[in-house]
Amino acid sequence: MKHRLSAFAAAAALGAGLALAGGALAADPIKIGIPVGLSGANSVVAPSVVQSAELAVEEINAKGGILGRQVQLDVADDGSGAAGAQKAFDSLIFQKKDDALITMETSAARNAGLPIVSRGKVPFIYTSFYEGHSCNPYLFVNAWVPDQQVAPIVDYFMQKKGAKTFYLVGSDYAFGRGMLQFTRQYIQKKGGKVLGEEYEPMDATDWTAIISKIRASNPDALVTSTAGGAPNVTLTKQLRAAGIKSLYGNLAVDEGTAKSMGADAAGIYISASYLTSIDSPKNKEFLAAMQKKFGADLKTPNDLSVPEYEGVYLYKAAVEKAKTTKADAVIKALSEVSFEGPRGLIKMSKERHAPLTMYLGQVQADGSVKVLESFKDVDPGNQCPKLK
Amino acid sequence: MSAQFLDIVTTAAIFYVVAAGLLIIFGVMKIINFAHGGFLTIGGYAALIVTQLGLDPWLALPFAALVGLVIGALVERFVVRPLYARPLDAILATWGLGIIIGQLITIGFGREVQFVQSPVQGAALVLGESYSQYRLLLVLGALLLAALLAAVLHGTRLGLMTRAVIMNESLARGLGINSGLVRFATFSLGSALASLAGALITPLSSVDPNMGVPWLVNAFMLVLVSGASLVSLGVATLVLGGAQVLISAYGSPILGSLTIVVLAAVILRIRPQGFARE
Amino acid sequence: MSEAAAGGAAVAARSGSTREIKRVLRLALVGLAAVAAAPYLLDTYTVNILIRSLLYACVALTVDILWGYTGILTFGQSAFFGIGAYACGLAFSHLDLTPTVAILAFLGGLAVAAAVAALVGWLAFGYGVSPIYVSVVTLVLPIVVTQILFSGGTFTGSSSGLSGFDTFDLSIEAWFWIAGSALVILTAAAWIFVHSDAGRLLVAIRENEQRCEYLGIDTALLKTLLLVAAAIITAAAGYAYAGFTDVIAPELAGFVFGTELVIWVALGGRGTLIGPVAGTIVIDLVSAYLSGSLPFVWKLVIGLAFVVVIVALPQGLVPVVGGAWRRLRRRPASANGDGLPILQAAPPRPRLVGADGGPAVALHGLSRRYGSLRVLEGIDLAAGAGELVSLVGPNGAGKTTLIRCIADGHERSGGRVLVQGTDIGRRAPQRCVGFGIGRKFQTANVFETLTVAECLRLARARRERPSPWRREASLALPQAALQVMAATGLDRQLGTAVKHLSHGMKQALELAMVLALEPSVLLLDEPTAGLTKAERSLIGGILSGLARDHGLCILLVEHDLDFVREISSRIVVLHQGRIVLDGTVAEVIGSALVRTIYAGEEHAIAGAAG
Repeated sequence: MKHRLSAFAAAAALGAGLALAGGALAADPIKIGIPVGLSGANSVVAPSVVQSAELAVEEINAKGGILGRQVQLDVADDGSGAAGAQKAFDSLIFQKKDDALITMETSAARNAGLPIVSRGKVPFIYTSFYEGHSCNPYLFVNAWVPDQQVAPIVDYFMQKKGAKTFYLVGSDYAFGRGMLQFTRQYIQKKGGKVLGEEYEPMDATDWTAIISKIRASNPDALVTSTAGGAPNVTLTKQLRAAGIKSLYGNLAVDEGTAKSMGADAAGIYISASYLTSIDSPKNKEFLAAMQKKFGADLKTPNDLSVPEYEGVYLYKAAVEKAKTTKADAVIKALSEVSFEGPRGLIKMSKERHAPLTMYLGQVQADGSVKVLESFKDVDPGNQCPKLK
Repeated sequence: MSAQFLDIVTTAAIFYVVAAGLLIIFGVMKIINFAHGGFLTIGGYAALIVTQLGLDPWLALPFAALVGLVIGALVERFVVRPLYARPLDAILATWGLGIIIGQLITIGFGREVQFVQSPVQGAALVLGESYSQYRLLLVLGALLLAALLAAVLHGTRLGLMTRAVIMNESLARGLGINSGLVRFATFSLGSALASLAGALITPLSSVDPNMGVPWLVNAFMLVLVSGASLVSLGVATLVLGGAQVLISAYGSPILGSLTIVVLAAVILRIRPQGFARE
Repeated sequence: MSEAAAGGAAVAARSGSTREIKRVLRLALVGLAAVAAAPYLLDTYTVNILIRSLLYACVALTVDILWGYTGILTFGQSAFFGIGAYACGLAFSHLDLTPTVAILAFLGGLAVAAAVAALVGWLAFGYGVSPIYVSVVTLVLPIVVTQILFSGGTFTGSSSGLSGFDTFDLSIEAWFWIAGSALVILTAAAWIFVHSDAGRLLVAIRENEQRCEYLGIDTALLKTLLLVAAAIITAAAGYAYAGFTDVIAPELAGFVFGTELVIWVALGGRGTLIGPVAGTIVIDLVSAYLSGSLPFVWKLVIGLAFVVVIVALPQGLVPVVGGAWRRLRRRPASANGDGLPILQAAPPRPRLVGADGGPAVALHGLSRRYGSLRVLEGIDLAAGAGELVSLVGPNGAGKTTLIRCIADGHERSGGRVLVQGTDIGRRAPQRCVGFGIGRKFQTANVFETLTVAECLRLARARRERPSPWRREASLALPQAALQVMAATGLDRQLGTAVKHLSHGMKQALELAMVLALEPSVLLLDEPTAGLTKAERSLIGGILSGLARDHGLCILLVEHDLDFVREISSRIVVLHQGRIVLDGTVAEVIGSALVRTIYAGEEHAIAGAAG
């Protein structure tokens, strides 16, 4: 009797042991979903975002992954808009069952995806600059908001260039309107005058009517906030072709897009949390690694793609701190962890947003950006007071 | 003021160039070629190829026209000809074709938005305004195109046959005119023109697989309102294009983009022949 | 037909229709059961996608009714979908989510959709508007709606739309049941409708709208009503969509979605109901699965399939499959229903002969010009009940034009036309039918794909509204029509499709249909064209009988002067647009003037003169 029992117990113990070991060995990958605008307005910048993520994942996997598990990327096209985002988010969260979403998107896509994120209970790190005040229990943002970005440009125009009158142009959606609303208030607070504020739909390519209005009112400075990518290029092209000579501050253009515009981009002022010319060891390391991995296919890292790289690492830090991929624990950890990346030390500690170092630069004729001023650890303000 | 005037004239010229190809197909074959948007896109990408090969941007124009001509000929033979008796189905089939073209281009070139070199850059001083030189050039282009088409229609034998078919196809066939040949030539030419237009407009903005679609509907309405006459197309583009510019300037650009379609629909309801003479 | 047989046929007809309806209802119950069970058998992702597909399928159903059955090619259903969706999203974004707000938003969305549809109908279905214009307007509609949504700034969310608003707190299963049962019920209702008597009207409009107008059917109104009904259903689907997805964006109202609907219906099989539903669900489901892995290729495949179907397989894919299935099971395709209606005599209407016994039809100074070409000039003519007036004259004299001017108030350029003492003014043909005009065309103008019985029932539509859910067992026709049916043997061909009839029978059918209108004035355009000698005398006898026994006023255009001589009470000669002679048979036949006009037609005149 005892004989058989102990044999039985031993077999059971062995079985359990094997199961445990098998569980550890089986190690299914951690899946990160990237719904991004492969088509539509964002299609110009999306490839750079995907490249950043790929480099981060490659580096992480080479060092053993996260908690011993390899990381896998799932990319889906959100069409840069609401309808496409729904399909992309649905597919990544419910079909592919990704553990987290880390991506840059238009505000239209992000807003459409958030309800799905809530339903799927998946952490969502938004790596794009945007108009602010988007709050959701699962959402974290590691890129800038207007409170961090607008002041450098407007202050420079008013103080260093003596501009008194402004004209605002944007894409007609949450981002365009949100940014320009903040800008208008800031300009007026500083004693400037806004001569006009005009919008075109996100996919518009013909800015003729607005350009005629700009010409007629002859402002000292022009501040634009269009959807990232194509609208920036078409607007700039058409502005240059029409010979508009006002100071031109673009709140929404990244270095890569500026480069692709060629000579038309020269003279544009931008305010960004990332420039390729940032002189830090981390940035140089990052750029070298990107160059090595992608070679001739490299899309210029920019203010929309570098936060993606850092976002993946922040997720890694959070999962390691929480010791699990379960959403609640990871969410808690995300506001506590930090990562030293090409933009410096990033910590999403202020109401789900991150204090950042901002740079004011001007695009040169060869496509590079000359840094005019820099501001350390700019506070993002009160973005989500109801969330911790 | 003069800025508005220049805007109106250049906008009308652009619409004229885009709609001319659609007009001749409609006039001869009485169908609306919904693949027109696709051909515009083909032209845009032809220009892109020229830019990517580093060639002179002016080469984009004849290259685009040639590509459009060849593809148009194939389309006429295999898609349009069987649907001769079913005009509504012809609309649908050409629309499907537009989708196919869009997808093939996406597969071939990727979905991103890309940009082509403009053959002429910068602004010129006109009427006291600093205005985009390229846009001004397009006015010249539209006039040249109109003159060329008029010359072909009124000066060549094919043109004569075409005019006969436009007026009364069964009678023309009864007189021994090969209307099949006329249709084939017309469709191919119309597609070539669409492609050429695509190459002409893309330096103004950008190239992406769906660039043709917004132009399609406006061109379509302009053609319906013009009947089969190149002259009334000119009138229509000036009137409706002008209305669009004015409403965009004094109202909002969004309502402005509606102007052409809404006005055209209303005009057609009141006067089904639109701006055409009879 | 014997009493028993007649009774039997009636029972067969009614039970055939009722049996079919019962079968549809049974299938609907099975469908509902499947809907109830499905959420438990499928995974969450699929259920998610299916809820959307099912709502799209409801919209595709409306597109099929409009396009597949009635021939109205519409790209604009997406606009109504967007209106419904935005009604939901805007209400919930800007107001609190209470039952009152929800219901008001729902009704508001439906009301706006209905109003827009009515406007579109008025624009697109007016008199003289070409069928391409309908497609134009329906194409413009989603563009206009999208732009209006864009211009709404922060109220509508413009390009990005609105999302994350408070919405109904229902589980995914509950949404699936709502969408699924809505689809099942709609499909069943649509099926019953298109197989009813009224459903035949849709096909008639698609096939030959002109004939419908000349039967007194207000096709413009009907099409507008259909459009409004379709808009309401579509807006309801849009409302549910927004409630479920918690996102509203301009793409929902856009013309890309509108054209996708047409593509799904075309691929599934237009005019089959089940085809579009299946097509929509399958394509949408597969797209969702493939959009990750093969996005462009899949769209390319759809585009190719669409073009191939339009060019080579216009009936769509589902009927092809269905046909193959049927051949496989070797079940013979049944004829149009197994119960044919029995013919009955309709109670005779009292015939009004004008307020003071005046003429049935009177023309005063009628003229018709095309630019400088005068086809008719200064026509004065009056004809009374019981007269059989023949209009003769060489080709190009304007005879058919004259008939047109009497039947259609828009035709003439000047002058007045009075029917039964009432001026027809500028009224469209369907209104003129109401005054008592019945026009029979030169070439048999009937409905080729319908059966004889269905054609006749449509001819009676003005008098007896066709049932929207069943096929009636009996068909009441006036004596005159019954006479024609009996004399030509059409009463034994009730179940035959018109395209299988001989030319002579089609002419007889059209005559019967026009007589079914119980006109006071019958306009006939070359009724003997293409008929054999025997058929000609038959028709001749019928026509004289109609004038004599039923008091009809008959105006007839003819070339066959023997025929004219035999049956007419009066002959009017037209030449180059004017009446040159108006008199009795003897007067006209013997006239020298007529001989000169007809120089060359000696054989006809010689007999009379000699």
